[in-house]
Amino acid sequence: MKTILKALYILVMAAATIWTYSVPDANAFQKPGMARVFLWHFPPSVIGTFLMMFGTWFALRAVVDVRTGSWMRAQTDPVQRAEFDLKSLACIEIGYIFFVLTMVTGIMFSYLQWGDWWSWDPRQTSFLIVLLIYAAYFALRFAYSDESKKATFGAGYALLAFLPGMFLTFVFPRLPQIKELSLHPSDSITGGGIKGQYAQCVILLLVLFAILTVYLYRLRVRAGMMELEMERNNGKLENNGGDPAPTGVVRRITVSEQD
Amino acid sequence: MNSNWQTEIKAVFLKEWRTEMRSLSGILTSLLFSVVTVYAIGFAALSTKLHGTVIAGMLWVALLFSASSSLTRSFLVEEEQGTADLLRLVARPHAVFWGKALFNIFQNLVTSVILSVLYLGFTAATVTMPWLFVVSLVAGCLSLTGAVTLCGAIAAQAANRSMLSAAISVPLLLPLVALGVSGMRISLGDGSWASGGMASVVGLIGYATATLATGPYIFAAVWKS
Repeated sequence: MKTILKALYILVMAAATIWTYSVPDANAFQKPGMARVFLWHFPPSVIGTFLMMFGTWFALRAVVDVRTGSWMRAQTDPVQRAEFDLKSLACIEIGYIFFVLTMVTGIMFSYLQWGDWWSWDPRQTSFLIVLLIYAAYFALRFAYSDESKKATFGAGYALLAFLPGMFLTFVFPRLPQIKELSLHPSDSITGGGIKGQYAQCVILLLVLFAILTVYLYRLRVRAGMMELEMERNNGKLENNGGDPAPTGVVRRITVSEQD
Repeated sequence: MNSNWQTEIKAVFLKEWRTEMRSLSGILTSLLFSVVTVYAIGFAALSTKLHGTVIAGMLWVALLFSASSSLTRSFLVEEEQGTADLLRLVARPHAVFWGKALFNIFQNLVTSVILSVLYLGFTAATVTMPWLFVVSLVAGCLSLTGAVTLCGAIAAQAANRSMLSAAISVPLLLPLVALGVSGMRISLGDGSWASGGMASVVGLIGYATATLATGPYIFAAVWKS
């Protein structure tokens, strides 16, 4: 059943990809045919932003025990902390991949429509800072070898990064003095600028990316949980209650008097 | 714990003050950094008359690196000298954060004022809106301190802590730099209050408030690990 669903997903994704090439040209752009890059630029940015929000929520759960109702009570259960941190990490990792995809397609769009790979557009620049902020999150995690510290400090930084991340994504590009400098359209969606086949294609890709995200997230969390389980049982594997660790094959040995 | 939180904050602040006064390493390092930066910028520009936006941009870059290189020390030193565990025992996390943050605010304000005065002197810039310059500088210092102090605490137990603390704090402070430059360039006569001055002042004060308000909670969550 799972194989059939995966095959179906690949087929729909292939069909959607072909569809993105057949949508009509967007004549408002400098190179109307190349405006299709938008279809691969917008959905990853939306999914990535949601993932970063979820990542922050799980980071909060990793360091604060919200069940007690007190926001000042630290998470004392190491198992809970590790598991919520894993969920936070999974969200931020997958979100980062989508953000990189957004940046790459944005750079392509910039070259095709504005004439430069990098035009120091405020929107482009602010998004690069978001990428740098989350790159620092990974650098911080790599700097700690102890899993417990990695979880606590990683979650702390994810919380700290949320405010500048959201400011750069939602507030900064919409400041009046920034908006007038930017070439990046900021009201295409809210102003109803995306219509017809473009809108249908964007919605389909959003749904497909969301399905892919859920699949990748579950896979990443499952793999992480297995790693955590292995870490927890590490000591037990080497010494099973004082007895030698059980082996897969046990042969009966008979010793005769001649031996 | 018998003491109240005000006493603990005061004790942590005084500890920082006495440690600093004993060696003066933090203030001297950041002051030297400031003077060298100002001289380097003046030297690079030679006799060229710099634009308000360029002056504001360079000043904020100097402030950013001065803060990220000196303020993160407060927690790194505790781990290096092995006194962090003692601090964990004698004061509650909020008091440790506020004690260190207040001292860092003081240190950063002193450094920033000296850096700004030297910088304006070397570049012969004219401040057309002094109050906006002061507000940008003070709110910027408060925001810088809140975020950098927290980053110092987060990176303090890592292997390559000095480099890491600067590496993780600089990207977080870039939005702040954008707001600071926006406010300061207007104070230097490049733009009007209506064309972004208001937004940058609100943004800087908001950033400072958010960082200093949420900082103790995030710090409390990571400090005891």
